[in-house]
Amino acid sequence: MSLKPTIGMETHVELDTESKMFCSCKVVETDEPNISLCPTCLGLPGALPVPNKKAIEYIVMLSLGANCSITKEGMFHRKNYFYPDLPKNYQISQFDFPVGVEGSLEIVIEDSLHTVAIERVHMEEDTGKSIHLGSGRIDSATSTLLDFNRSGVPLVEVVTKPIISSAKMAVAYIEELRQLVIDLGISKGKLEKGNLRFDANISVAEEGSDELGVKVEIKNMNSLKSLEKAIDYEILRQTKMVQDKESIIQETRHWDENKQVTLSMRTKEGSADYRYFSDPDLPNMVINEEFIEISQNQIKETPEKKRKTLLDTGLSLSDSNYLDKGQRWLYELYLSTVKETFDCKSTFNFLTGELQGQMRKAEISELPQWVNSEKLAGLINLFENNEVSFTSAKDILAKLLIEDIDPKSFASDNNLIQSSDNDEIKTLVTSVINENQDIVERLENPEDKLVGFLVGQVMKSSESKVNPGSVKEVLLKELFG
Amino acid sequence: MNRNIPSISKLNNLFLDKELKPSELFEQVYENASFTESILHAHLELFYDEGLENSKKSDERFLKGESIGKLDGIPIAIKDNINVYGYKTTCSSKMLSNYVSPYDATVIGMLKETGSTFTGKTNLDEFAMGSSTENSAYGPTKNPWNPDYVPGGSSGGSAAVVSAGSAVASLGSDTGGSIRQPASFCGVVGFKPTYGTVSRFGLIAFASSLDQIGPITNTVDDARIIFDNIQGYDPKDATSIKPEYTEPKNKKLKIGIIKELMQEGVSEDSQNEVNKVTQLLENSGHEVVETSLPLTEMALSVYYLIAPAECSANLSRFDGVRFGLREPASGSYEMMNKTRAVGFGEEVKKRILLGTYALSAGYFDEYYGRALKVRSKIISDFQKAFDDFDFLISPTTPSPAFKFGEKTENPLEMYLSDLCTIPANLAGLPAISIPTGLSDNNMPLSIQLMGKPCSDYSLLDLAESIEDMVSFNHLPKMTKGDK
Repeated sequence: MSLKPTIGMETHVELDTESKMFCSCKVVETDEPNISLCPTCLGLPGALPVPNKKAIEYIVMLSLGANCSITKEGMFHRKNYFYPDLPKNYQISQFDFPVGVEGSLEIVIEDSLHTVAIERVHMEEDTGKSIHLGSGRIDSATSTLLDFNRSGVPLVEVVTKPIISSAKMAVAYIEELRQLVIDLGISKGKLEKGNLRFDANISVAEEGSDELGVKVEIKNMNSLKSLEKAIDYEILRQTKMVQDKESIIQETRHWDENKQVTLSMRTKEGSADYRYFSDPDLPNMVINEEFIEISQNQIKETPEKKRKTLLDTGLSLSDSNYLDKGQRWLYELYLSTVKETFDCKSTFNFLTGELQGQMRKAEISELPQWVNSEKLAGLINLFENNEVSFTSAKDILAKLLIEDIDPKSFASDNNLIQSSDNDEIKTLVTSVINENQDIVERLENPEDKLVGFLVGQVMKSSESKVNPGSVKEVLLKELFG
Repeated sequence: MNRNIPSISKLNNLFLDKELKPSELFEQVYENASFTESILHAHLELFYDEGLENSKKSDERFLKGESIGKLDGIPIAIKDNINVYGYKTTCSSKMLSNYVSPYDATVIGMLKETGSTFTGKTNLDEFAMGSSTENSAYGPTKNPWNPDYVPGGSSGGSAAVVSAGSAVASLGSDTGGSIRQPASFCGVVGFKPTYGTVSRFGLIAFASSLDQIGPITNTVDDARIIFDNIQGYDPKDATSIKPEYTEPKNKKLKIGIIKELMQEGVSEDSQNEVNKVTQLLENSGHEVVETSLPLTEMALSVYYLIAPAECSANLSRFDGVRFGLREPASGSYEMMNKTRAVGFGEEVKKRILLGTYALSAGYFDEYYGRALKVRSKIISDFQKAFDDFDFLISPTTPSPAFKFGEKTENPLEMYLSDLCTIPANLAGLPAISIPTGLSDNNMPLSIQLMGKPCSDYSLLDLAESIEDMVSFNHLPKMTKGDK
């Protein structure tokens, strides 16, 4: 029996608005607890919510970016449950009329494109934070500390259809969604800060079957790495259970980072009843054409658009996706540099390999202002045209990162320009052949590894001032005619 | 009107003519309160020091000829479910016995701007749930007309203080009749404005889609003055509206008597008042016709699904975590459970349970969902009625004030006392109760007028003309000098 996994993702995106969702308190990023509060986000008696227009604009942008249709007359609902860090003991959320419905995101796994169908995009408010002392769990804590700074911060929940088929695909989806919110400028998108938090619903079923297996929800995955591991673990666990004829129960499990396993949190005995009903404090959310247009006009960039631009320069899908998900400056630097090199692959390799590598080594996060696409393109062209060796190009780059030099003049001033003079090479080749007769005699064909050794000897005798390609050419001609 | 306390306009003239100082009025009102409170228990807290200080500031303004307006120096009582900065807001609940509000309700901020002073906070049924103040955790308020009788509720304290002269006017809140019914029982004017015209920010919610703050006063003009100073769009309340007030088309009005509120279940006393007023209206040239609004008979049932459903969520925030009562326990959930078990009274618990049930999976459609549908039909029925009529008339209550304990054993009968007032809340309409006569046992009787949304000022005008015609000039027992 062959089993296939089915995964659906629920992702909470914290919006990067100035103020909270239903009050004018500032959204703050601080460890100092309880400094940005008011009667509304603290749930004090008599306080009322007023929606943040910017947040609605942002969720419409996200919905449009995820190719959703927009619900013209949406509604806020109250989701009722008791928890100490939920001040009103209900969360203002959306139920049957979410802002965005029926969308899709294009994602890249290695070198192929896939589509993830989005079921809904809805608006809600965040809760406060609980710190359960003594145990980490509410039921066994010795005491609980509460920080309401996060209470009322606007959150968007993005829910996919259950159509993701592997951990890799889930990771690629989260990467795409994360890039989307960053490119839209609606969230900082930092996983480590909890700007994006995701749960995975996983089930396994027989290959070819129309029915899905029993769904298990996995929480507490704080990084893409733990997301991938948790899903892989859970698929394995469920597969083994099915093979052992054990029945899977519908439950919520959390990923234990230390033990690298999923552990049962609570079983859903007839799932929780949140008693959703439309919030009488908030009138219906009317999103008209004009508002949609305003939101649409705010969209300057999406990862999908960026990827298309990159593909158009000739890059492969996986390289395009790599730059798409990387830092913005690198993406822009690539585009402006490739315009002057006309060589997408070597430009990509040099920028993502050499440049980023050297920056990492030198521990600089930002390019010095004199390092622009013109200089980098000049440098790339130098070694692409065999005017300098790749080793010299690396040295020139190192210099360029600390000093404003012109790569070409630096190369000639420092005697780094390679010779392509055939007479000079011929002389060097002849003397190397003479000095290595024993090796020459062992050569069987032009593909022999020893050819490389001889080329190396010529390079050495020239102190790397000649072009290795020309050397090889002359050498083979001398040896094999 | 012959009252022991003159109307706000008259008081303002006395201040302007330097015949009376605001601080003298405040002292007089406070003296009334000192005398009546021990019997009535209408105020939960009196703000003597700050009230006197504020009225002295009014003295200064009048002296310098810099008075702010008609409410300058007028002592007003505030129902204790409306937040006043720095004072306790208890909602007459044990849950909030120690809760001090860190902010002013919007209406309080607006009243402070008018130069009025606050006498204190008034008693109510716990969290405004009730029709007699018998549900107050701090004991009931007595009716100034006869302390054996309830003052009505939930704004029983706010109605009693005005009736007894221990405040010139008061603010109440009305979810299903909580301003109009006690006003009726205490022989004063109670006005529930159009939903959304007065901000709810700072009013501790019972049922958000029904709650409305409004004035309880001696005269219709007093109600108009208070309303004028508290109405208007509030950016802090998303349900607040920018009202465009309407005027009737003709001077000669067409008024409908709601047939369903003039039949069995409504006492003859109460019906007679409507007939009496009808006669007076006809005499002054208006047309009064009986009309049928069949769905009003379902209003009570709809109300008792919608209001509890909303309150079940609104009252979730009282959990002992951040403010108010906290019962010690070994864990968070146990603490919340115990706090709510101890902090809420029986009626509140009953309504939370009712509402929780009505919203539960499997019951939602049958109860809450259906109630919403009927509610929108009730609204459209009223819309149709107001195509034909400028205003509607009915009794305010099915019967005059009842005695303590009379209806506590039978909650359905208690709920019926809001029969005539609930429809206006469901439809968001302005409605006013004005006293028109006395029953055989000398308890006040009244009529209710309803108008279409935003007809508030013209509704007040009509009420004032009826007030003139009936000239209700009786005084409650419990006034200064009695006893």
